[in-house]
Amino acid sequence: MTATELSTFTLTLASLVQESGHAAPAHSEPAAGGMATLLVPVFTLLGTVLCGLFAAFKVKSKLPAWTTVLLLAASFAAIVYTYATGQGTTSPVIAHGFDWISITWGEFGSAGHGHGIAANFSFYVDALTLLWMLFVTGLGTLIALYASEYMSHDVGAGYCRFFAAFNLFVFSMSCLVMADNFLLLYLGWEGVGLCSYLLIGYFYKKPSAVAAAKKAFIVNRIGDLGLALGVFLIYVQFGSVEYKAVFAEAGRYIDAARAGHFDQIPWQVQLIPLLLMVGAFGKSAQLPLYVWLPDAMEGPTPVSALIHAATMVTAGVYLVARSYPLFLCSETALPVVAWVGTLTALLAATIGMAQFDIKRIMAYSTVSQLGYMFAGLGVLTSTGAAFHVLTHAFFKALLFLCCGAVMHGFAGQLDLRKLSGVWKIPGWKVVSVGMLIGCANLSGFPLTPGFFSKDMILAEAFVTPGMAAIGWLLLLTAGLTAYYTFRVFFRVFVGPVEYEPGDELHAHDDHGHDGHAEAHGTVHGHGDSHGHSAATGNHGHAGHFHPHAPGWAINTVLAILATLSIVAAGLYFMGDHGGWAANMVHHSTAALPPAPADHAAESGAGHAHGSFLGMDPHAVMYYVSAVVGFIGIGVAFWLHFAGRTTAATSRADALVPKLGAVARAAQHKWYVDEIYDFLLVKPLWVLSHIFHLIDALLVDGLVDFAGWVPRTVGKVIRPAQSGLLHGYAIGMAGGLAVLLLIVLLAVT
Amino acid sequence: MTLADRLPFLWPEIVLFGFTCWVMMLGLSPHRATRKLCAPFSGVALAIAGIVAWQTTPGAGQVARETGQVLLPGMVMYAKVAIAVVGILMLLLLAGTVDRADEAEIAARRQKFNPLSSNRAEFYSFFLFSLTGLMLCAGADDLIWLFLALELTSLPTYIMVTMSGGSAGAWMPWRNKSQEAGVKYFFLGALGAAVFLYGFALIYGGTGTTNLNEIRDHIASGGLDSLTMTGMLVALVGLCFKIAAVPMHFYTADVYEGAAAPVSAFLAFTPKTAGFLAILLLCGTMGWSYMPESAAGGRWVADAAGTSLPEPVRLMLWVIAALTMTVGNVLAIQQDSIKRLLAYSSIAHSGYMLVGVIAGPGETFAKSGLAAVLFYLLCYGVMNLGAFAVVGVLERASKDGSTDQVHEIETVDELRGLMKTRPILGWVMTICALSLLGLPPLLGFFGKAPLFTSAISAGEIVLVVVLGVNSAIAAFYYLRLVRAAMLESPDAAAPRTVESPFASRRTAGVLSAAGVVVLALAGNGIMRAAQHAAEYLPATDAAHEPAPAHGPGDHSAASDAGHVVEAPPKPTTPGH
Repeated sequence: MTATELSTFTLTLASLVQESGHAAPAHSEPAAGGMATLLVPVFTLLGTVLCGLFAAFKVKSKLPAWTTVLLLAASFAAIVYTYATGQGTTSPVIAHGFDWISITWGEFGSAGHGHGIAANFSFYVDALTLLWMLFVTGLGTLIALYASEYMSHDVGAGYCRFFAAFNLFVFSMSCLVMADNFLLLYLGWEGVGLCSYLLIGYFYKKPSAVAAAKKAFIVNRIGDLGLALGVFLIYVQFGSVEYKAVFAEAGRYIDAARAGHFDQIPWQVQLIPLLLMVGAFGKSAQLPLYVWLPDAMEGPTPVSALIHAATMVTAGVYLVARSYPLFLCSETALPVVAWVGTLTALLAATIGMAQFDIKRIMAYSTVSQLGYMFAGLGVLTSTGAAFHVLTHAFFKALLFLCCGAVMHGFAGQLDLRKLSGVWKIPGWKVVSVGMLIGCANLSGFPLTPGFFSKDMILAEAFVTPGMAAIGWLLLLTAGLTAYYTFRVFFRVFVGPVEYEPGDELHAHDDHGHDGHAEAHGTVHGHGDSHGHSAATGNHGHAGHFHPHAPGWAINTVLAILATLSIVAAGLYFMGDHGGWAANMVHHSTAALPPAPADHAAESGAGHAHGSFLGMDPHAVMYYVSAVVGFIGIGVAFWLHFAGRTTAATSRADALVPKLGAVARAAQHKWYVDEIYDFLLVKPLWVLSHIFHLIDALLVDGLVDFAGWVPRTVGKVIRPAQSGLLHGYAIGMAGGLAVLLLIVLLAVT
Repeated sequence: MTLADRLPFLWPEIVLFGFTCWVMMLGLSPHRATRKLCAPFSGVALAIAGIVAWQTTPGAGQVARETGQVLLPGMVMYAKVAIAVVGILMLLLLAGTVDRADEAEIAARRQKFNPLSSNRAEFYSFFLFSLTGLMLCAGADDLIWLFLALELTSLPTYIMVTMSGGSAGAWMPWRNKSQEAGVKYFFLGALGAAVFLYGFALIYGGTGTTNLNEIRDHIASGGLDSLTMTGMLVALVGLCFKIAAVPMHFYTADVYEGAAAPVSAFLAFTPKTAGFLAILLLCGTMGWSYMPESAAGGRWVADAAGTSLPEPVRLMLWVIAALTMTVGNVLAIQQDSIKRLLAYSSIAHSGYMLVGVIAGPGETFAKSGLAAVLFYLLCYGVMNLGAFAVVGVLERASKDGSTDQVHEIETVDELRGLMKTRPILGWVMTICALSLLGLPPLLGFFGKAPLFTSAISAGEIVLVVVLGVNSAIAAFYYLRLVRAAMLESPDAAAPRTVESPFASRRTAGVLSAAGVVVLALAGNGIMRAAQHAAEYLPATDAAHEPAPAHGPGDHSAASDAGHVVEAPPKPTTPGH
């Protein structure tokens, strides 16, 4: 019997890199290649282990940070190398790591009904993968560098723990983004969820951080359930979880879908994207599962920047983009994606307008911008969505890191009513300029990268037939975004100099920041000359407080990100149509297949593009969105800058009461948490108590009984073990007799 | 047939025998350094025997009917190599079991070497004799050969148990315990041997031959008459003594408890393996091709559509398997003594393996109960060794601080806090206990899973449920070991423990735990080997057609058999 005939229990975990010689199947098989990408999980896992060891050996220096930065930079280099050598940029290649799961059952052969499931630890490297991995590893490196300074008050076990989780996050993210099958993607998906949980709950002694970590994890479970069901259904429907097989199978339906004949596609296939979508909405914080993301800001700011703004939360967008062929097979999936994205964008923007915590405002803006991305996917511009993911990653990381710098410098102060005029405080220029560039991007200020990527989505929304309403809502959201973004800038960074430290002051003192205190001794005088407002400064310790400006690591990172947030605009002009991102997307599974010729002819010229008030959206959208953006900024200027003399008050204060209930509701986040609490949490809580009773009485009783039976049986038969030789001999002989008797009685 | 024809099967045993004689002389040398060579030489002997077995044992295709059994021809090589490997691990654990006090006295020049009171030579040579017998069991093709091999396996163990308590020096309670255990083991062993010898005699009476191939042909052509059937049943019950199964299990706990831990570990592997090899051979003569109702006129005749043992045999093994698992597990729960606990666990594992015997052969590893048994024997040998090694390493500190007198730990409570005080031993105990429990992804899981799947494919659903329930009950006491070692803190009131001065014992434990992990990850090769070894060749032409003449010199039968082995029928032949 040959080895191949042994169907089996083989869970092979060992064999490393070897190309297995598959026979070439009918459809074109992706070539092998892109092996350098395999270095990313190796480096990051190594980083996790090293940071764990540092913790074990009680390292009390910045060693974990430097290790992480170095390894992430090496990972980035590996991805850049892959990209630069053109592996995967035009057609996908597969980097085979090792056989991970390979199970077969049933009988193969002529009459057999053999089943099998194979999922290798292999990477599917195409342009979409590279696009994502470039910014995941690139930003990872920068943010690790930033964190080396930001987390310095925690040097010791906590520092190691932070960087171990940080590495583990990049590892999981690389599995998620580069997987060549849905199972490995799921592993990465759960991995990033775990790291998110660990990092949100980093300050585990703080009850609100623990609650936020739990909330993030539990809400994500709902999404993960959807994803898991989606993957199961993919396996049932297509007999494989590997991208190449699944997308090849799905390709059979694409033509029918593009021609609008959805009735020819089985409903199960159409259900798959709806299930995957639930997962995407959970991870990317969309309605109705967005509630965890604002709370996730309890984590350290670098984490918020990397995980909860730039990379992990775009995993949902990635999933949809990656599974685009599956989404195109469904009649309802993409419109649902578009509407959910749009409504989320609008809702989060309205909430963002009414918040005072600047980090939370950024969190809501993240939710809102993710909504844009989904809307982009929904209106068939995967290019726009991918480009927006990229630009958003840069400018949102920049914004968060600026907020983080403020928070770090002002002892945890994040209330925009208690900070003002940061620009004018010495040492804060880089942060302020960075913030300005970030805000300009977010609000879609002309010629910033954010402007171009947002326009691609807006224009496409108007172009796509039947999606005009989405276009209008997104345009409205753009105006609101410009308003709340510059509200933060005008309140915090310009205006009269005035500040009040946050409540982490003592914590900082406890951590013995002697170095910082002395270094900023020179700043002291200036601070005084600008003067704290007596009214706000008189909070006990505040009198002795002096903000400490960010050091070189933070400033360097901010400068690099600010630069990137400007030059990324150049990507839009690279290549012919739609820029670099379009080129990348075109060579991936997220590419939109051309509509079949007959359908195009049949709908013909009569089926024109949608239009924007009778004009070609592609032509006018630049101007329209610029105008909308200026209006938003203008309103923010008038309400929050013009004539403002203190940190705490502005013209908006007079306006708020007039809005009455609406403003209050927006400030309370439209009471969504309360509604969820009433509709879901309370009933579940009651139900859990009922189950607990049942468990305590019935199940425990059964378990105790199950434990009692063998013990009692043992007690009864134990005396047979008397230790007496003749007793045993009688037992043996008697046993033989009894057995023979049983057999005799049974067979005759 | 001459002895020369049999030689290809005997090279490993011949190597072992030669070394055994040598080791016996080395152990009597007046020079301490020379005496110490006993153990290394035994190890070398096993290593060479293992390699020789691997290289020279005729493969399945090369066995002629005249020179060896052709029922399970692949089993011989697998079993011998596995025996050599586990034997080497056992040897590491057995270090320092005998003559420890005497050797210490001699080293301190307080005493002279006295060959009459020294046990070292006997101990190691009996160890090798026993393993020689075990290898002979694997290669047996005749009932008489099988009986002698089984006894060669067992007789040395009686003496090893007795002498493992210490030298004939000062009075020691320990020594009495091991002598009591040895005597019980000997008398009950003799009774067990009498039972299966009686069974063998009845089989001879029924079939007129003692050759296994011929017995198989006889049964295949004429079915089992009631005399042969009775012989089979009695012989199988007798063999239950070797594997410590109900109703022959009574001795187990007392003997394991009385013997030193390393010897108990040896008992848990060696006679059990011998018993299972013999059971597989006996069942192989009947074959797994009977229908439940295939009895006619007092005969049980094979049926092409049948897939199980003859109903009386199946029923009896079923009852024995179910009772053995249950009795072993429920009594294990009651134990405070760690060695008694492991003894009952050993009984329970025999019950598990009997399930594989009932399930019978199959085309794939997952479906072959025989492959499952062969694989599980190796798994059990490896993981059980680790658990006993921990007991063998830990000793109660004597009051005067000397290490001459051995007081092994006795109760489970003495393991408490092991993870904190001796992390390596703690991990060994934890890993091995979890593996014995069958927790994935450890070796025990991969060993137990095919027992389940093969029994399911054989349709033994009720037995599978019993197996499942018993695996759950087993969690009770294995987790107790884990909890004591891992979660609890050291017991201040318990006697202080020290580690045995014999470092190789700890090595044995570590190797065993490492094996549990490594083989679980890289066990594919062994599973394949087990599957290959479990290739059962049903009686073919000899049964229904006039057999091709198989006189001496005619090789056509042999080459036919060989052909069948190398290219078995495809798993899915039409009409199967």
